Amino acid sequence: MTKLNILPLPTFARLGVNYTEREVAAFKREEITVPDGAEQQIIKFVSPCSETVVTVGKGAALKLVVIFADKQSCAARLVTTLDDSAKLDLIQLYLGDDTVSEIVTELKGCKAAFTAEIGYDLGAGDKLDINLVANHYGRKSMSEIAVNGVLRDNAQKTFKGTIDFRTGSAGAKGSEKEDVILMNEAVVNKTVPVILCDEEDVEGSHGATIGRIDEKHIYYMQSRGIPEEKIYELITRARLSKIIGKIGDEQAEKRIYTILGWSDDIE
Amino acid sequence: MKEKTQVADINRSLYDFRYDEDESSFLDSGITPGIIREISAEKGDPEWMTEFRLHSLEIYNRLKMPDWGPDISGLNMDNIVAYIRPKKGMQSDWNEVPDDIKETFEKLGIPQAERESLAGVGAQYDSELVYHNVRKEVAESGVVYTDLESAMHDERYAEMIRSHFMKLVPPTDHKFAALHGAVWSGGSFVYVPAGVKLEIPLQSYFRLNAKGAGQFEHTLIIVEDNAYLHFIEGCSAPKYYEASLHAGCVELYVGNNSTLRYSTIENWSKNMYNLNTKRATVGEGGKVEWVSGSFGSHVSYLYPMSILNGRGARAEFTGITFAGEGQNLDTGAKIVHNAPETSSYMNTRSISKSGGISTFRSAVTINENAVGSKSAVSCESLMLDSISRSDTIPSMVVKTDKADVGHEARIGRISDEAVFYLMSRGLDENAAKALIVSGFADNVSKELPLEYAVEMNNLINLEMKGSIG
Amino acid sequence: MSELLKITGLRVSAEDKEILHGVDLTINEGETHVIMGPNGAGKSTLGAAIMGSPEYAITGGSIVFDDNDITEETPDKRAKHGIFLSFQNPIEIPGITLSSFLRSAYEQITGERIKLFEFKKKLGAAMDILQLDKSYADRELNVGFSGGEKKKAEILQLLVLRPKLAILDETDSGLDVDAVKTVSAGIKAYKEQTGGSLLIITHNTKILEALIVDKTHIIADGKLAAEGGAELIDEVAEHGFENYTG
Repeated sequence: MTKLNILPLPTFARLGVNYTEREVAAFKREEITVPDGAEQQIIKFVSPCSETVVTVGKGAALKLVVIFADKQSCAARLVTTLDDSAKLDLIQLYLGDDTVSEIVTELKGCKAAFTAEIGYDLGAGDKLDINLVANHYGRKSMSEIAVNGVLRDNAQKTFKGTIDFRTGSAGAKGSEKEDVILMNEAVVNKTVPVILCDEEDVEGSHGATIGRIDEKHIYYMQSRGIPEEKIYELITRARLSKIIGKIGDEQAEKRIYTILGWSDDIE
Repeated sequence: MKEKTQVADINRSLYDFRYDEDESSFLDSGITPGIIREISAEKGDPEWMTEFRLHSLEIYNRLKMPDWGPDISGLNMDNIVAYIRPKKGMQSDWNEVPDDIKETFEKLGIPQAERESLAGVGAQYDSELVYHNVRKEVAESGVVYTDLESAMHDERYAEMIRSHFMKLVPPTDHKFAALHGAVWSGGSFVYVPAGVKLEIPLQSYFRLNAKGAGQFEHTLIIVEDNAYLHFIEGCSAPKYYEASLHAGCVELYVGNNSTLRYSTIENWSKNMYNLNTKRATVGEGGKVEWVSGSFGSHVSYLYPMSILNGRGARAEFTGITFAGEGQNLDTGAKIVHNAPETSSYMNTRSISKSGGISTFRSAVTINENAVGSKSAVSCESLMLDSISRSDTIPSMVVKTDKADVGHEARIGRISDEAVFYLMSRGLDENAAKALIVSGFADNVSKELPLEYAVEMNNLINLEMKGSIG
Repeated sequence: MSELLKITGLRVSAEDKEILHGVDLTINEGETHVIMGPNGAGKSTLGAAIMGSPEYAITGGSIVFDDNDITEETPDKRAKHGIFLSFQNPIEIPGITLSSFLRSAYEQITGERIKLFEFKKKLGAAMDILQLDKSYADRELNVGFSGGEKKKAEILQLLVLRPKLAILDETDSGLDVDAVKTVSAGIKAYKEQTGGSLLIITHNTKILEALIVDKTHIIADGKLAAEGGAELIDEVAEHGFENYTG
């Protein structure tokens, strides 16, 4: 067993969120380098046990779309280093099964920027454990993390997201938000949004909403004839579609809608 | 810069005074079954308590030190004198309290506070309660407020204590809970009968004085159904250069449709390891309200826990932590939703200054059966300079879909705009920042009785003096 | 004309405080009714109770709509029977577009699927009547809409969903003259296109100018204080509610 997804600063051991243990084969390593000033877009459907090491050069930008759709258990690691004014726009979708995923972004450069849009739709027997860490070193570096998902049946999910403002990251900003909709009494959701701060002149925030949809929203939509179950489905689809729509690649989007069984949404 | 050290030191001394120990007798440092038996015999414990202490010591020896949270390697457990016998026994008349002890309390303003309408004061000088008084009308309503040892020997309460003592915080909970179980001494016992609503707060003021001494007071409060109690615990200990340990324990039992408000302003001296455990269980429709200010100590681990066991039970936690130079304060709260339609609300602020480290740590758990429960957590942190540190580590575990859990956190610095605005109205930079920090702390100060709010504000102003180099 | 809505002895409470103390009201098919009354009289409460708002508890009486007793029904069932409430303060629902929401509501109420293209056509026609820019279809529901835009979006839903009874709760409040005109045109279009009934809650008479009012009810202190024809509106416009409050 290997300890994966280690929380940068451990908390109460009983919560079971400090790390996760899995039997993993050797990680298949892949490197992506975006040279200074270049712009690149990569879409990939992930294969099990992969480690991706990304370097984004000065002023360069990478849009990376990663879809976890294989029906087999999977451990993945994505480590990105961002130089001055480098940018990583990450879109990740988790569509099921047993996945352990770690996302580490080193914002080394001044004005390095990292955005993450993460979505998940998990059902019977699915397990997901995400450990996202954004390390801010560079002055005025920026990170913005948005996570949206739905848990059905007996799905289990842990999302740990850490924004770490290291010494020297003056002027940095980081925000993190997770919104989870729970659809079944057997789900287990763990959310751990961490902010570590060693610098005065920074702005950090995190938020989370877990559980039911606001009663007032439900009443409004019910009053237009939509029953409660349908409202949950509608909002779930809306949230995930918003992420999928950002992929900007029709073929990939179609493939995802087919996996989700929502093909009728894109007639 | 010069004024900074002067001001800070002079004012600090208000809280950092002590008188020489003369007649007090010390036991050997370190803890063995022999010492436990000695303590137990000296206190005249009933047999079950002696057994409880010995059993706790075994657990203590078995458990590991916590492997998360702030570093406590500076704490030498063999150096902690577990127990210091008091100079005199319990006093019920202020005039009979020894003069130097009295003077200490006078400086802290305890009797005045009592005269000013506080219902009762139990002050712990070192390990034993030396002064104790409950106003007549409070006693007449059937409310019991006494020290735990006396209550244990009173046949009216003996069984009640046996069936509640360390049942909420069992010695197996963690190493320092086990230590507490083995060496606990002093503390308060409060019993509020069903239907009694105590309008005026009960208060206790703990102090820790002897060098190298540990303080292991135990507070046990039982509030029966349909009752109300506000209990105020204040702590202030003088400064020493050898590390001291505080491993107290608070157990609160809140009955159906009752409310217990538990307020604390802690200002332990800055070499203290404060490893305190506080826990409440709340019955149907009941409510526990924690108001907590953490200013003192070198290292703190403090996370009052509320277990909502009855349908519709509620918990509220309002806290402020101020970590200055040399301090590592790890504070927060835990809430367990164990019944349907329970709700919890947490609102905390933390401030880091002059190299201090403050950590907000929380755990909200909504269990399978807590259908229809709600929880909202809000925490804000303020960094006053770039040599300090502030961490926020909340966690939410939700095991039912019929829950509504929200969380928001924010970290940042004092806005230059706000400082500029205040300065444009004639305040100097120090005063402007102190004012803003006081405002930042108002979530707690507005929940406190006036005299405590004033004391807290003074503490903040002390900490803020000379904050700008 | 047959009875569409029949309310009998309706008592309604919010947070254990009774607001409506037994109200009777009957609306026939195709009729236009107006409810007037001073602030806090319980006008909006009546509208919310007919729609089935979870904020109010019905503690007595009954609501029968189109021969169905709906007193205990959830709001979506009531909507399917053909009741529509235009909210006084429509809520903002982030993450979900006006178009996808309304399409879903349309499919639920009619019980049939509609092709996206066809739906957009329907929506576009209604938006033209209300002079709403087409871009609003893809905006998040009410999010960042001005007060007037929110009211227009309510009437837009009314035009697309074509209910048998439309309850308009202070739809004219907070609107400028032009917006009142546009909204009135929308209400008129609803009336012409569907022949449906209207229950208009207002304390303003401007919105009523373009409509033929069949009946006026005055609510004061949680009770019906007076009933009459359209002439009552003019009387209130002149004398206020003095005569009706105890």
